[in-house]
Amino acid sequence: MSADTGTGSTLGQQLVRRKPIKLQSGPHDGPDLKRSFGTFQLMMFGVGATVGTGIFFVLQEAVPDSGPAVIISFLVAGLGAGLSALCYAEVASAIPVSGSTYSYAYHALGELVAVVIAACVLLEYGVSSAAVAVGWSGYFNELLDNVFGFSLPDALSYSPIPYEDNTTGLINLPAVVLVMMCMVLLIRGASESARVNTVMVLIKLGVLLMFVVIGLTAWNGDHFDGFWDKGAAGISAAAGTIFFSFIGLDAVSTAGEEVRDPQKALPRAIMGALAVVVTVYVLVAIAGLAAQPASEFSDPEQQDAGLAVILENVTGHAAWGTVLAAGAVISIFSVTLVTLYGQTRILFAIGRDGMLPERFSSVNPRTLTPTFNTIVVAIVVALIGGFVPADYLWDTVSIGTLMAFIVVAVGVIVLRRTQPDLERPFRVPLFPFVPILTVAVCIYILSGLAGVTWLIFGSWLLVVLAFYFLWGRRHAALNRGVVADTEVPQS
Amino acid sequence: MTIVVGHPTRTHDRSAVSLGAMLARSLSTDLLVVSVVPAQWPTLVAGNVDREYAAWAHEVGAAAVADAERVLAEVAGDLEARAVAVPGRSVPAALLEQARSVDAGLVVVGSAADGPWERVALGSTADHLLHSAHVPVAVAPRGFATHAVPRFTRATCAFRADRASAEVLRRTTEICASAGAAVRIATFGVLGKTMYPPEVRGEQDVLASFVEQAEAALREAAAATGLREVDHVVATGPDWASAVGRLEWRHDDVLVLGSSPRGVLARVFIGSHASRIIRHSPVPVVVVPES
Repeated sequence: MSADTGTGSTLGQQLVRRKPIKLQSGPHDGPDLKRSFGTFQLMMFGVGATVGTGIFFVLQEAVPDSGPAVIISFLVAGLGAGLSALCYAEVASAIPVSGSTYSYAYHALGELVAVVIAACVLLEYGVSSAAVAVGWSGYFNELLDNVFGFSLPDALSYSPIPYEDNTTGLINLPAVVLVMMCMVLLIRGASESARVNTVMVLIKLGVLLMFVVIGLTAWNGDHFDGFWDKGAAGISAAAGTIFFSFIGLDAVSTAGEEVRDPQKALPRAIMGALAVVVTVYVLVAIAGLAAQPASEFSDPEQQDAGLAVILENVTGHAAWGTVLAAGAVISIFSVTLVTLYGQTRILFAIGRDGMLPERFSSVNPRTLTPTFNTIVVAIVVALIGGFVPADYLWDTVSIGTLMAFIVVAVGVIVLRRTQPDLERPFRVPLFPFVPILTVAVCIYILSGLAGVTWLIFGSWLLVVLAFYFLWGRRHAALNRGVVADTEVPQS
Repeated sequence: MTIVVGHPTRTHDRSAVSLGAMLARSLSTDLLVVSVVPAQWPTLVAGNVDREYAAWAHEVGAAAVADAERVLAEVAGDLEARAVAVPGRSVPAALLEQARSVDAGLVVVGSAADGPWERVALGSTADHLLHSAHVPVAVAPRGFATHAVPRFTRATCAFRADRASAEVLRRTTEICASAGAAVRIATFGVLGKTMYPPEVRGEQDVLASFVEQAEAALREAAAATGLREVDHVVATGPDWASAVGRLEWRHDDVLVLGSSPRGVLARVFIGSHASRIIRHSPVPVVVVPES
């Protein structure tokens, strides 16, 4: 492929130049390093990475928009996530040495698109770390209250920025402390082992199942009356918020290199994981709605630790809510760790491409981790988590992720045209119908997002683009022709 | 017994490989040069965001291995040696892991990059190894090169006149016998702080009696080695630098010390006398864990 090395290139050429696709045997070739997964294991990874990002908090955000039809919103969001995951799997298998949508975009669609995607991905990971930390803080306070009869004062539990009639305070201290704890762990080189991952998945699924069972015991069919009252607009608005809780499904998509027979295993694992996740989510939504009318989801009392509060209301005592809160506190901790880790490694990749100062890609020789990068990420995420209410955060994460997925779907089509001979261990079925449908569904979900979300996204994009035009453009590694790898020979 | 050498990535410090080659040649064994690179998470991360990081770690490892092979070709062309890059969460832990897997008898590392030239300076890796290694650990002085030192011809064993020290001496003697090197036994003493104003002059007397005792103990220890010619010496001075500096050192010497039993006490000991002796050593230091 023709990648302009950029030396003496015009701005126009620079914006569309692509990073050559590297041919490499994968990052590791030691026998003990090759991760290898079967379909079922991969499916469970997908379930583990997805469940828990949003389901513990999302009902209280989404049900007020859509009413009982939130079930439809879950299906729509799930459809978008599943289709995106299929497209992602093809791009990831074609460009196996890259990670994150940012680098796929740089390889397939050019520098400017990569910068736009970098902005989206930073929202997807950075803001979601903050959002999850804020959600964790709610469950943590609930747990403190139930177990010790003590909770932090409002001033230390809520952000100072108002949202509708929610409580405000000075700073969300637990969220800040959680992010700082994760920072220390990451600097020390902590990693999530397969065993810990499995335990976390079991805890998450266990407490959610408990919620479903208890919620259904309080079944009241009247709560489903007026199912369609909020209309299509309500459903798409809720789907936009809910989309956030499907982030993580791409853990499956990008494992093409590490499964046996990706063409068969990947779609099965993606669809299997999606089926499990959607089933769990829909059951949680049905159980929640069975237990209380849709109007109660916006109750300020349920602003945080929503699922635990529902359980307490249903059973009349705190024990079940405490168990759920404890499960949430333990498992969401690991979600925060993983998303923060993801954010640092994406910045590392951007730094390696020269679009960020070199310090972001420097690794401390003592800790063997990108320490500076981790500290910067943690401080920014802690500030967002400490001072911005979660209500502004969920939709911001969703918009970033949806935009990134649209680009991936477009990338599939573009790569098929520009590089038909590229080896693709996994190919999207029903091409071009699937990528086109992916874009359509994502656009539909985007259409439901609030104006303020678009404003936040637009402003952020402008900041990133300004930084690129003023700084990144001059320092891009491609300017120096720094491409350490050979290109894929075109047969 | 293989010798494992820790070779740092992204520096051009050749001292550890050089010392490893010298010891391997003296002890007629082979070398495994290990560079530790950042490890990838064992679980899948959504979006595979650590791919570039892993690829980068792989590149760094490959560069370190190439660098180590270059140095090996220069200083260890006559030895059986190979270089590898392994992922790890901590350099000392990964080195010990490798040492266990190849059943190594010795781990060799270099000095801290900010230490004084031609002196041993314990960096965090060496320090950690000294407190946790199950095998002897050798630390090369900064800038150590073997061009002029193909083998060591004498080992100076720091002696404390206790049972553990005697055991270290016994092992040193055995190793030196097989390596064809001489043994010298040394005890270091430092003059305590005198009172001010200097009305009381007791410290000098204390040191004099220490020297007397130490010399008797050294004679006994030298006799116990069973070797015919064992040099022994008590080196004293107003501080550790001059006590260590007072000894005559040759460029093909090594200094052998025992490290106390592990745990808090080890930190105290390593943190006091041994680490001071190590810090002023102009020759490579081998620290033997005392059983």
